[in-house]
Amino acid sequence: MKASRSLVILLSIAVCVALPPFLPRHFVDLLVFAGIYTVAGLGVGLLLGQCGIANLGQIVFYAIGAYATAYLTVYVQAPAMVGFVVGMLISAALALTIGWPILRLTGYFLALATLAMGIVANALFFEWDWLTGGTLGIGGIPKLQIFSFVLDTPLRFYYLVLGVVAICLLLAHNLIRSRTGLALRAMRDSQDAAISLAVNPRALRTRIFILSALLGSVAGSLFAHYGGFANVQSFGIEKSINFLLIPVLGGATSLIGVVVGALFIAVVPELLSQFGGLHQILFGVALIGVVVLMPAGLTGALAEVWRRSAEGARP
Amino acid sequence: MTAKKTYHGRAPAAFALIVAGVAFLSTPAAAQRSGAEPFKIGVILALTGAGAGLGIPERSGALLAEKIINSKGGVNGTPIQLVIEDDGSNPDGAISKANSLIHREKVSALIGSSQTASTVAIGGLTDPLKMPQVALSGLGPAIERDRKCVLHVAPSQALNAKAILEYASSIGAKKLGALYDSGYGTVVYNELRKLSDAYGIAFVATEKFEISATDTTTQAAKIRAAQPDAIVVVGVTGVPIRSLRQLQMKQTIIAANGLASYETVKSMGDAADNVVFPEFLVGEDPLPHQAEFVKLFHKEYGRFPKILEAVGWDAVHVILAAFKKADVGANNEKVCEAIRSTFKGDMTDYDFSADDLNGIKLSNIVYSKLVAGQFTRLPFQAKEK
Amino acid sequence: MNVGLLAQSLLAGITNGLTYALIGIGLAAIFKGSRVPNAMQGEFSVVGAIVVVLLLTGHGWPYWLAILCGGLSGAILGAFIEVAFIRYMIRNAAPEDSYLLLTIGIGLSISAAVLYFFGRESHLLPGFGSDNLYIILDAVVREHVIWLIAISILLTIGLRQFYRTTSVGLKMMAASIDPVGAASIGIDVTLMRTFTFMLGGALGAAAGILITPIIPVDYMIGLQLTLKGFAAAILGGLTNPLGAAIGGLVLGIIEAMAIVGVSSSYKDVITFSLLILIMIAMPQGLLGRAGRTGG
Repeated sequence: MKASRSLVILLSIAVCVALPPFLPRHFVDLLVFAGIYTVAGLGVGLLLGQCGIANLGQIVFYAIGAYATAYLTVYVQAPAMVGFVVGMLISAALALTIGWPILRLTGYFLALATLAMGIVANALFFEWDWLTGGTLGIGGIPKLQIFSFVLDTPLRFYYLVLGVVAICLLLAHNLIRSRTGLALRAMRDSQDAAISLAVNPRALRTRIFILSALLGSVAGSLFAHYGGFANVQSFGIEKSINFLLIPVLGGATSLIGVVVGALFIAVVPELLSQFGGLHQILFGVALIGVVVLMPAGLTGALAEVWRRSAEGARP
Repeated sequence: MTAKKTYHGRAPAAFALIVAGVAFLSTPAAAQRSGAEPFKIGVILALTGAGAGLGIPERSGALLAEKIINSKGGVNGTPIQLVIEDDGSNPDGAISKANSLIHREKVSALIGSSQTASTVAIGGLTDPLKMPQVALSGLGPAIERDRKCVLHVAPSQALNAKAILEYASSIGAKKLGALYDSGYGTVVYNELRKLSDAYGIAFVATEKFEISATDTTTQAAKIRAAQPDAIVVVGVTGVPIRSLRQLQMKQTIIAANGLASYETVKSMGDAADNVVFPEFLVGEDPLPHQAEFVKLFHKEYGRFPKILEAVGWDAVHVILAAFKKADVGANNEKVCEAIRSTFKGDMTDYDFSADDLNGIKLSNIVYSKLVAGQFTRLPFQAKEK
Repeated sequence: MNVGLLAQSLLAGITNGLTYALIGIGLAAIFKGSRVPNAMQGEFSVVGAIVVVLLLTGHGWPYWLAILCGGLSGAILGAFIEVAFIRYMIRNAAPEDSYLLLTIGIGLSISAAVLYFFGRESHLLPGFGSDNLYIILDAVVREHVIWLIAISILLTIGLRQFYRTTSVGLKMMAASIDPVGAASIGIDVTLMRTFTFMLGGALGAAAGILITPIIPVDYMIGLQLTLKGFAAAILGGLTNPLGAAIGGLVLGIIEAMAIVGVSSSYKDVITFSLLILIMIAMPQGLLGRAGRTGG
């Protein structure tokens, strides 16, 4: 079983690396977005899967990353790295200041608090137009560049995003496997027992909240460079809901689930768009179908297929 | 437990169904049209989501243009074909739609989008290729001034603001109230603020509301308390106008052209009275050069067009005119050069070489007034200073 | 600050607050009876209002009959959702998050379907009673607003009585609090859940019909209503319709006071920051522990 699992992972990596050059350009573009959403959704997934927190405010950090990159690269003409770092610093600081007080809440109260955070931030993005460009936004964000190699096609950017996704997944994997991960799950499943084992739940949850914010910020900066603009229209409540859908769709506790969920959110609407005006209805129906028919998420269903075929192969 | 087992039993089947569905949907349409290759123009509009109120009327104007142009023989003998895509009011979607139109459909030019964010997103792709793009949204962030192949057929915010102030001063209003939304409303309001001194007009009460606010009564009450001579409203729904009228404020309301549509007027209910719009097209009483378009539109759809339909119609014609001038096979740079000139549209006259990228003049503005829910064209005409 | 402005703002705050309250009440009723956080409660309102608009202006039905059918359409939709999806998912022990995802999916589909089949226009209904205006303390009041306030109060009290005194109401509560125990004394737990969704759907539709004379309804408004209703319900403790009503009122009045006292630009910033503070200060909801358990 162990060997076959490594095989699947190796095979998936091979496909992710080798296939895109043969795909049409707009499809690679969708994969880039799937990658960016994976990074942001991973943060939400860690909170949901490891701490049981439904975060409806990821858009705040995604937007901070995007605006930091936009403002610094366009108005200050700073190098791209500065945008990434400043976005992450602001996000971490904000996550600490907001997270510490609100993470004492639980359940739907906490979900509402994160939602409220998203609504407040959205209103401020409109209001602080000296910083965000208000409703017009900021355009002309330069393409990312690695030495003199400009990432100006979807395919080139795809490989960067793929690398970032791989690193983030690896780090998340190690986190879950570590003592911290163990403490997190203990806390999620039985808070009292965890406290008796000297785990400080609020501090631990705040740390994961900050980590989630960092991931959101990185995703936002990547998005800003890829799209070349940052506009408040990209940072609405609907996007926050999408970021929450990603881990839920894929299966909250699994890391691969986040990737699968992000692919669903990025690719399925595009595939359905050939049905014209019906496509949004069909997207809703597709969501319903996944929930009703696949209780363990898309990855759970995939694992089931895998298990069955393995059983089938054994006489 | 048995129930659980059957439940999981369905998951693989459902998953297989999804995989099959994805595979099916991603197979490109095999049937290629034979015969002469049409002249393809990509169109990206907000047909669903929050911007659908813009994209749907724009599409009807563009589709009519396609039909009429083809009935007259297309461009230099080649029929035109609009490839229309929906960005779902989402700029992320606009990027992949534009990529698909440019690289898969091989369109010669792009129209779109309905909203600023998507327009800027698409501009990031058309600009390096110097592909002509006609945007239906107003002028966006600073970068758009450098994008030489992106045109804007919607009036600039400065022009909107001037047109409003011209009318206010013509009725002798010195103290104005302003009720504007946090989106485009704020942009127009900033211009109004800048220009108001020159007109000797002061804003005595200014209130903001969210773009999709469902109620603005409290804001309206604050404006009422300031007793302005007239009220400026900039938004996209009829909500603020209803709020003002329900508080029994009888003053003239001057509303930006985003509100000049039959749909918003309907949503105003009986508040749709004594509201003045600086706009471009009054279907009930069109200008001579608009009469033909209004007639064709009415024949096709059984209703009158308004600014959004006219913008969709003009956008197709602008592209065509440029390609006619530069020749259909001309390279993009030549077309971009050809497009940067004057164009007599049916909505209004443009000069795409002007500073604000479309050169619509104050004297092109048509003023209309809602009287008991009906648009009537006013004799008032603003003069360029 | 003049009295008229204050009175008018307070009235606007109450009116908007009741709108949020009505959505919140339905949400709370559904959560109370089934533990499903219904992210499509606003869509019930859209459907209810659209049905009335169609029957009234499209087919010329009498207003009262159209309203009745509108309310019924909400109940039917609620029952459909329970029978078609929720029942199946509960039987198969679906995880908790998936109910949120389900209702989000249904909400998206309904909103898109309204755009596709009924178009982008927004619709208004005529006010209840007459279109008279009254001046109270220099504030203008439409007659419909008085109806709205009265009916909202009646609905809240009626619902409370329904849960406390009627046999069906008591059974619904029992079935939700202790499904196994309820089943053992012969209560049809599944049927009670269907009733809960019918009740929630009818309440949602009633909310939509009540607000449409004031707020034009369109395909996009559902999500907005849900978000505000969600806030109202959670403030009130999520399982208590009375709490949701109070939560909605608090929200509406804070909004209005933020505009009058500070600035309309910062309305949402102030309202939702206060909301977070209230939750931190009162983690059991506005009514405290009683709000979480009481009916």
